[in-house]
Amino acid sequence: MTTVEMEDRAAFRTQRRNSALIDIAGVLLTILIALVAAFVIVAMLGKNPVDAFTALITGPLERPNRIGNWLEQTTTLTILGLSVMIPFRTGQISIGAEGQLYLGALAGAVVAILLPLPLAVAPIVATVVAMVAGGVAGAIPGVMKARLGANEIVATLMLNVIIVQIFDYLVQNLLRSETSTAAVSDQIRSEYAWLRLQELTGIPLSRANVGLLVALVLAGLVWLLMSRTSLGFRMRIVGGNPEFAKYAGLPVARTIEWSFILGGAVAGLAGAHLVFGVFSRLEPAMASGLAFLGIVIALLGRNNPVGIVLAAAFYAYLRVGGDVMEQQTDVGSELIIIIQAMIVLLVTAQALPMIVRRLRAKRKAD
Amino acid sequence: MELLGVLTSATFLAAILRVATPYLFAALGGVVAERVGVPNIALEGQMLSAAATGALVAGFTQNVWLGALCGIAVAAVLGVLLTAIVVELNADPIIVGIGVNLLASGGTAFAVFTLLNDKGGTTGLDSGTLPRVTIPGLDFVPVLGPLIGTQNILTLGAFVALALVWWLMYRARFGFHLRAVGEAPSAASMVGISSRRVKYLGMALSGALAGCGGVFLSMGAVSFFLRDMTAGRGYIALAAVFLGGVRPVGAFVAALFFGAAEAAAIQLGAFDIPTQFITAMPYAVTLIALCVFSTRVRQVQKDWRLKRRARLV
Repeated sequence: MTTVEMEDRAAFRTQRRNSALIDIAGVLLTILIALVAAFVIVAMLGKNPVDAFTALITGPLERPNRIGNWLEQTTTLTILGLSVMIPFRTGQISIGAEGQLYLGALAGAVVAILLPLPLAVAPIVATVVAMVAGGVAGAIPGVMKARLGANEIVATLMLNVIIVQIFDYLVQNLLRSETSTAAVSDQIRSEYAWLRLQELTGIPLSRANVGLLVALVLAGLVWLLMSRTSLGFRMRIVGGNPEFAKYAGLPVARTIEWSFILGGAVAGLAGAHLVFGVFSRLEPAMASGLAFLGIVIALLGRNNPVGIVLAAAFYAYLRVGGDVMEQQTDVGSELIIIIQAMIVLLVTAQALPMIVRRLRAKRKAD
Repeated sequence: MELLGVLTSATFLAAILRVATPYLFAALGGVVAERVGVPNIALEGQMLSAAATGALVAGFTQNVWLGALCGIAVAAVLGVLLTAIVVELNADPIIVGIGVNLLASGGTAFAVFTLLNDKGGTTGLDSGTLPRVTIPGLDFVPVLGPLIGTQNILTLGAFVALALVWWLMYRARFGFHLRAVGEAPSAASMVGISSRRVKYLGMALSGALAGCGGVFLSMGAVSFFLRDMTAGRGYIALAAVFLGGVRPVGAFVAALFFGAAEAAAIQLGAFDIPTQFITAMPYAVTLIALCVFSTRVRQVQKDWRLKRRARLV
């Protein structure tokens, strides 16, 4: 490598590091602004914001089962965030995670309720089935978008409703448990259940399970996919500049399809986590609203696997803290949704990083 | 045969209009937004906010008109907020829309809980409904009379809104500007149209229309607000927008079709047909239509006039 090349490379690295730092600072500042705004709202309503925020911030760590809830929700949200991130990085706004999750959960549960298998292979088989089902649910809008040019937002929204209705029908009719009065399915066979962290550590961590480790490994795999494989490289180019990708001779349609399929498979894994790790059966509306949260996580994590893990942990913490806050004070847990909304609005707007960049550019020009 | 009887009875036809009213308004709002070039996925949140505001204001002031007005205004303000973030801060409209929906979902539930100490909704608050009106003379017409003779004022208002939106978009100067900004922003600004102003106005109108639909939910169909009572109606309206080819009349007809499917799902609950399949049917139709239309649009994409629609569908 020549000296010039090395200097170029060094300059590029510095630039990339600086812009990443600005990004992180921007996200942290956004979170801070949202929390302060929520604090002011509570104060303006004549309630005690200090009590509420103490409960919100210290509550989740006070008891082991709350920590367990936090870890469990972190798992689901991390997987969902990663599932949304893959199409997002390819420039596809897929809102289909909900349908993919439900189809994955449905397929996995059907296997886990009906098919006796030896303990060694059962969880793997069921998880693969769930991921394949999620991938199929992702492939439908993917092919529609890539081959037919259909709007992926509308396609995924429609498919979500269709799958949720099928799910509801099956849970309330064919799969409905005869022993339970509520409209839920039978329990899954015990060999399919994911190992609870409680059994591993002896600490009563509620429903937290090995899914947490799966989610962390998955984050690593998605990072590998995006930055170390040719498919990931193609996805990033298609996402960054589809025209360029087309003229460079990349298979744009196939890349888009794969981004939907992989995103769907990951969402199916989130469904598997809910069925095998958390609920141990199918329940109606077991994941309602979670998929939109996946989008929020992906945004907050800046479409970066590490960021997504952190964002998911933060959000799960807020959700658990919100419940504690509602139990201990007279402030409703809906405050958490408002905080989320403010974060989404500010983060997408990239208002803060933009202002910082403008100021820096100005200073450079002077 | 019994089934056919239910589906053709006058009460069922009236039920279609009643169920479809929120979709009709929201779909018109969606068309306006789509045409001005800012996809409005926040229809859902705008309806929800309008429904909550309407019921709360009407309950506390005992004035349904003031409640309805405030509800519609809040929805319009959300439209302006969405536009501000999209236009001024260069954000993605879909993501901002999701943010607005979250804000509406959390904000309405939080407001209701704070004001009434009730998690579920405003059922404890006596807020009343907007009046039903009878078109004079129409009740004597044999078929039409029982059908649309007496309806909530907002249901009739939806038809008026259709006429107004159509006139505004195709016969008024503002509508011409609106479509110009949506179709070719640079050309529009070249001839001196302020795309920013048109976008703000268009999105406020879109929000207000969705707000009318929301107000109908809490002050027309029933007389209270329930948490998350829109239950995805905004997204259905969005589907109607695309199924109707992003045109006012088309979207209106599509919204009626969605209303009919939902009314059928309610009415056929007594029969041995799973309601879930009837509920899912319009979505399946939209999905298939989306495939068919986008293929067709692709084939004629060389025609520059269709390019814009190709992107939309």
